[in-house]
Amino acid sequence: MIAEALAGLVFLPLLAACAVAVVPKRAVGVFVWSGLLPLPALLLPLTEAVWREGLVRLAVAGFASPLGIEWRVDALALVVLWLNALIAVFVGLYAARDYPPGSARGGRFWALWLLLTSAMNALLLSADLFNLFVTLELVTLAAIGLLVIDGKPAALRAAMRYLLLALLGSLFYLLGVALIYGQAGTLDLYQAGERLGPGLLPVTALVLMTMGLLVKSAIFPLHGWLPAAHGNAPGPVSAVLSAMVVKVSVYLIWRLWLWLAADWQPAWALPLLGLLGAGAILYGSVLAFLQVRLKMMVAYSTVAQLGYLMLLFPLLGPLGYSAASYHLLSHGLAKAAMFLAVSNILAVMGTDRLDRLAGADRRLPLDTLTLALAGVSILGLPPSGGFVSKWLMLQAAWAIDGWLWLAVILAGGLLAAAYLFRPLAVLCARPATAQAADDGSPPSATGLHWSGVVALLLALGALAAGLAPAPVLALLERGLPPGILP
Amino acid sequence: MSLAIDLLIATGLVVLAWQALVGGSLFRGIVMFIVFGLTMALAWARLGSPDLAMAEAAIGAGVTGALLMIAYWRLRALGANRPAPRSPLRARVALGVGLLSAVLVAMIGLAAVGAIGPGGEAGQALAEALPATGLGNPITGVLVIFRNLDTLLEVAVLLAAYVASRAVMGDDKAALPLPPAQDAPLVGALVAVLAPLAVLVAIYLLKAGSQLPGGAFQAGAVLAAGGVLLMLAGRLHPAPLCGVGLRIALVAGTVVFSGVGLIMLALGQPLLAIPGTWAVYLIETAMMISIGATLVLLFAGSAGLTGTPRR
Repeated sequence: MIAEALAGLVFLPLLAACAVAVVPKRAVGVFVWSGLLPLPALLLPLTEAVWREGLVRLAVAGFASPLGIEWRVDALALVVLWLNALIAVFVGLYAARDYPPGSARGGRFWALWLLLTSAMNALLLSADLFNLFVTLELVTLAAIGLLVIDGKPAALRAAMRYLLLALLGSLFYLLGVALIYGQAGTLDLYQAGERLGPGLLPVTALVLMTMGLLVKSAIFPLHGWLPAAHGNAPGPVSAVLSAMVVKVSVYLIWRLWLWLAADWQPAWALPLLGLLGAGAILYGSVLAFLQVRLKMMVAYSTVAQLGYLMLLFPLLGPLGYSAASYHLLSHGLAKAAMFLAVSNILAVMGTDRLDRLAGADRRLPLDTLTLALAGVSILGLPPSGGFVSKWLMLQAAWAIDGWLWLAVILAGGLLAAAYLFRPLAVLCARPATAQAADDGSPPSATGLHWSGVVALLLALGALAAGLAPAPVLALLERGLPPGILP
Repeated sequence: MSLAIDLLIATGLVVLAWQALVGGSLFRGIVMFIVFGLTMALAWARLGSPDLAMAEAAIGAGVTGALLMIAYWRLRALGANRPAPRSPLRARVALGVGLLSAVLVAMIGLAAVGAIGPGGEAGQALAEALPATGLGNPITGVLVIFRNLDTLLEVAVLLAAYVASRAVMGDDKAALPLPPAQDAPLVGALVAVLAPLAVLVAIYLLKAGSQLPGGAFQAGAVLAAGGVLLMLAGRLHPAPLCGVGLRIALVAGTVVFSGVGLIMLALGQPLLAIPGTWAVYLIETAMMISIGATLVLLFAGSAGLTGTPRR
């Protein structure tokens, strides 16, 4: 049962992608939905098993490591698998409006969408350093294909930059894997961790892999490619890029430092990684405030919010771990909702320049509401998932007298309030020009399209994460990384 | 004597890499890159890795070289052959990046001195498990049986690359320009010999791969080389639509590989278990077809292929 569920997570979307590439256009829709909709159902037995046993293992092809590749699902992997399934399904439902499965462009879009979903599931299951490299490559290529799906010149330029930097990151990661394999004689993440100690070679490998992944996850100061890529991608693609694609590389950085190098991580590097996060929070927030385009603001907000994920390193402990993991989940939901709402605003208003959006709330009441609700979670107001994670993070900083981190978290919240209230104030302002003035017409029908409802559901999910965090936090606490004691 | 050859290859690699990067023209850089790939293949052969040598020659030098050459030809045909402007700032940045890389390489070298090299735990486990599979080539054993999830996902990467390249092209039905076909009498004679030979060599590499160096990736690259040859000789042409046969060829590797693995799961075996040598051949044949088709289409820069050109 568990083996079937694990296989389904990877092979259902993978085979659906192949089918989409082959079958006639009118049959594409059937395969798209049969590749996406069962994913949450497949996670149910897995959730039950992880809750009961703490760790689910499967030796792929029947060969245990070091000879074969092993899949291992713990609490953290499970939480991110859930996020991936929700994003793939909900953002997918939204994308069915812009990319009807029966169209020529739709066929390419859905093949890449399904490949991306499958690759991210494969990445989250894998416990093998080289297999992780392959999944990372598949994630990157599929994401780049989605980024250029509309053929916009700005998106093509951004994609080229993303591609070159992501390949550079991959090479760094691969170099680290080779060094680790040379020393440990195994590619299994857990076994290699046990075989290695705090020497020059393992630490060099760890630093190389981390540098590669920092580029891929756009952590300050290596974030240069992100705003252009996420700001110029089509709406649903921006949503999945920000909610999942950059997150899985941060997830891998956590795996390397807290699992692989649990016993031999260089202690001097932990505050440095935290400082990168602090730089991301402050720089990203200020830049988000300075943007004139709404979508670029949301993209810079991602740069800032990714910084919180790096604060896990200086705040290492059960609280910091729960906080960062919960932030990954709630930010994923909120940011996906935000990109989808902004995409609707862009489509209806014809522009996302903040100075032209005055009074947009009358035409787009639903999307304005989604933007506001997602904003509540991003800036960490109660009751929202963002509040829970930031509250836990503040507690973690308080517990170790980390005043610097405390100040950064608080400043990040204030700056987020500043950059998020600005577009809301503009959207709800009365337009000054007579032409666009309030003519008493009812809200346009486009504002109530079901795609708007999907975005709202994601934003409500981010809020709901703040109302009932206990089960997820309890699950995370049962699967703490090896070095962290409850 | 062998030390002299090794030194020659090592020095040649550094010089060729330098030439490929700083060569005055793009064309020169590409040629140097191809020669670099061939020299690299020699280096792998010297290091006792014939499989890597063949892959490097076929894919690193051959297919990549052909893709770079066609990209160069198209840039010229589209009139976009302006060299990048040289500025002192760029040179200074390049110098900084170069120095940083040198420091990094030195650090890695220093660290790698302590490495124990392959033949560790995983290598021993492989040596013990290989005889039971009936395969004589450990590389094929790792790629198709022991770590086959990696290989399966690599084939999916090729599929993603093809779809992504279609996404870049968009709905534009006009194919990218190809060099005009040469219709000299010798070309026809050459194609008549080389095209069937490519198929024959590909099948031999696939068959030999179970016991000797070879396998689906090398075979697919040779098949693709045959396709490129047919295209350059004017026997194959880019088509605006991808026919159903070609579409099946593109996904065959992924579908057959996953299909075998999932059927085994349904039969109560582990996921992706390989039931026997016949399954290895089946999977490798499907992969060879997918790899060949994808590479030819990437070279053609079109959605599909046709034997008769559209007028």
